[in-house]
Amino acid sequence: MKPVLVIGGGVAGIQAALDLADRGLKVHLVEKSPSIGGVMAQLDKTLPTMDCSICILAPKMIECSRHPNITIHTQSQVKEVAGGAGNFDVKVLKEPRSVNESKCTGCGVCSQKCPTKVRNDWQEGLADRKAIYIMFPQAVPLTATIDRDHCLYFQKGVCQVCSKVCPSGAIDYEQKPEEIDLNVSSIVVATGFQEYDPSELKEYGYGRFKDVLTAMEFERLVCASGPTGGHLNRPSDGKLAQRVAFIQCVGSRSHKKGYPFCSSVCCMYATKEAVLIKEHDPASEVNIFYMDLKVFGKGFQQFVDRAKSHYGVVYIRGRPGEVRMNPVTRDLTIWYEDTNTGDVTSKEADMVVLCTTMIARPENKELAEALGLELDEWGFFKPLNPLTNPIETGLPGVFICGCSHGPRDIPESVAEASGAAACAAEVARRFM
Amino acid sequence: MKYTLYLGCTVQSEQFGLEASVRETMPRLGVELEDMKGASCCGFPALSSVSKVGWHYLSARNLAIAEEMGNDFLPLCNGCHLSFVETMHYLEADPDLKNLINTHLEKEGLQYEGKVKVVHLLEVLHDRVGEKKISGELVKPLEGLKFASHPGCHAIRPSDIQKVDDPEDPRKLDNLIKALGAETFDYPEKIDCCGSQLAVASGRTTLKIAGDKLQAVKSYGFDGLVTTCPFCFKMYDGRQRAIKGALKDSSLDVPVFYYTQLLGLALGFRPERLGLQLNQSPVDGLVERIME
Amino acid sequence: MADSDEREVKFISLMLSRAVSGMNAEVCDQCGKCSSACPVSKEIEGFNPRQMIGKVALGKNEELLKGEAIWTCTTCLKCRERCQEEISPYDVILILRNLAYRAGYNYPSGYDDFVKGVKETGFISAPQSVRGRDGGRVTRSDLGLPEVLGPTDMELFRGIVDGIVKAGKRN
Repeated sequence: MKPVLVIGGGVAGIQAALDLADRGLKVHLVEKSPSIGGVMAQLDKTLPTMDCSICILAPKMIECSRHPNITIHTQSQVKEVAGGAGNFDVKVLKEPRSVNESKCTGCGVCSQKCPTKVRNDWQEGLADRKAIYIMFPQAVPLTATIDRDHCLYFQKGVCQVCSKVCPSGAIDYEQKPEEIDLNVSSIVVATGFQEYDPSELKEYGYGRFKDVLTAMEFERLVCASGPTGGHLNRPSDGKLAQRVAFIQCVGSRSHKKGYPFCSSVCCMYATKEAVLIKEHDPASEVNIFYMDLKVFGKGFQQFVDRAKSHYGVVYIRGRPGEVRMNPVTRDLTIWYEDTNTGDVTSKEADMVVLCTTMIARPENKELAEALGLELDEWGFFKPLNPLTNPIETGLPGVFICGCSHGPRDIPESVAEASGAAACAAEVARRFM
Repeated sequence: MKYTLYLGCTVQSEQFGLEASVRETMPRLGVELEDMKGASCCGFPALSSVSKVGWHYLSARNLAIAEEMGNDFLPLCNGCHLSFVETMHYLEADPDLKNLINTHLEKEGLQYEGKVKVVHLLEVLHDRVGEKKISGELVKPLEGLKFASHPGCHAIRPSDIQKVDDPEDPRKLDNLIKALGAETFDYPEKIDCCGSQLAVASGRTTLKIAGDKLQAVKSYGFDGLVTTCPFCFKMYDGRQRAIKGALKDSSLDVPVFYYTQLLGLALGFRPERLGLQLNQSPVDGLVERIME
Repeated sequence: MADSDEREVKFISLMLSRAVSGMNAEVCDQCGKCSSACPVSKEIEGFNPRQMIGKVALGKNEELLKGEAIWTCTTCLKCRERCQEEISPYDVILILRNLAYRAGYNYPSGYDDFVKGVKETGFISAPQSVRGRDGGRVTRSDLGLPEVLGPTDMELFRGIVDGIVKAGKRN
């Protein structure tokens, strides 16, 4: 049988790849960034069980790398697709790491010695990385990569310290972009999501006030592998944040700035993050400002009930009007109406977390064009029929799963990934 | 640069000290002002709450006169500026309303076509004259003084129909204060309302709203408050004594200026030429310091 | 003249009734962003733009027209600026005020003074002499300022304003 292509190496893509590979099918797993793992690798804990996220994901990531049926292509993107179900000709473009993958041992010495600091996007900008770097400690593959846009050698022709210190001689500045031609029977699209940028909602002060964070930034801050080792030291002055406010529906449920849809998982992840704070410090004060509580999943209502009664997380029904910062103390004030009581008042906090909407990745556009798929008005992939064929697309042999077609949580993404894998496997067998 | 000057009710009948400071300072910055004949109230808030058509009629007739005169239109009051911008917006959106108003304007031999450009004082000073020109003309830089910027609600909102400055993080008045050699910084209450429009219905609450702001300004160590709206100015300056009474805060003494008054002092003009004798807030100490 | 009056009465009537229904109050999620930004809501318990929009959405306009709340807005426009459903409590309140005036309900007498001033002088009031900080009285001409000239034909202007305001009073 021909192989199957899985586009996107997040938890959905990983699940689909493993399902297919375990069935005996060959899989090409194409991932844009230097490592598979996606957003789930960045999270601290998962809900409602509060398991360590990377601890659950990493074994699957390793399984992908060791599975004889799976070939992982990182720093790769699908550029062109021709043909149809049972016979897709795919051109994949692989960006050079400038590091020989078979020689690199992931020791990290290159990174230590590199003189150039760059904003670490994986740490959501809360820390720096080097121009040569390994994406995160559990990266798969555990291979360094050079960011040519910031590397002194590629920009100015100087330095080359990494090649001098690498004990395996793995640095290869001459690496070129590589075109990989694949012929596959079916395709699973699992490109995931990105976080809405709340800068345009200026009333919340994101960008102006350093201690107003997005949810992803918070996840990195509270995570033990984060910039502060998991301690809630706020970015502006390092003060330990004991009073934290969560603002829900940032960038969602909005016809002006943001998106009109509900982002589905934010109520739950805010609850999870609130519980995390309380676990770190039971004396902390945590308030969640919400419009509605979306507790649609199994165990969700109970999780919220526990957060309230056992942990003491306070839920206030009211979308805050604004966040203000005291210029002297840097403490934040949230103005809100408690719509249950009608009180218009304010609350002080050391840190504010904006629970931002999951939005479509901009790469979807290019990919949709290459595949010949339709995107909805917000850039998400469109299913054939949202009710009866939610993971099929308009194209036979191409399936979507996970956040590539809208906001959803990990269990849903994983279930859909298995569904997409089954559909893709069926196509592979049909065209044997 | 030539502008048709629109004074507005508050300035011309009461706060004409501010008018004096505008007339005195503008020529030095290369801005020529032409007076209107036959102007009337802009209608906001005089008629807007009881007769929306009456409101738009009043604004439209001033716009029609300005259209004939040909220059860009410069009201000195935030409220008037918003009134003109809103009226243009509504008349454009509703041709029937525009026609109805034009039948009234015809009686005075006027016609509104919506062709005039309404500008705000902040736009003229910041975007057209520019901070560099202002800084270049300084005779007495206001060094060592810190002023709180109060652009006023009607200058910065609603941002869908007027783009004078950013509605959440306005900086133009701040930059203009710095152009005078003074200091300023962002403070949380900057975009809060002065409460003036509430005076008609509830005097006490107005004073509390205005007072909260003055107390905040004082708490940050500012030497004074600067605004570009005569309505706000009247509240913070003219009614400061009443505010102090209502808040039971006898030590609340905040010097309040209209921007062109400070501008005039920095350009070397005498205080009496800038209407400063009419400010009710305690400005003397600061004026003396600046004039030394 | 009588014809144009009638036309105007009908126009105003239609405009006001359409205006409220065109303002999307039914889309309101009752999130509270408007009230939490409102400087008056902070101070006065009876004033809450969120609740007002809620009432309009349920067709309870009459209640609002008869009450004091609609006259207590300070027109700061924060509600309009911040609402993410593009509803403007400020604009709704302005129309409700016009409707209340039309229906003959109570309103602050200050608005009568405004209308009177405009009809008599073309402005809210004629220029006054103002007391300076030193106690002395100062006039416009003391500061070398030009005389204020209102509408050239005051009688004509007065008639027009009067006509429009009255047309808004009739049903």
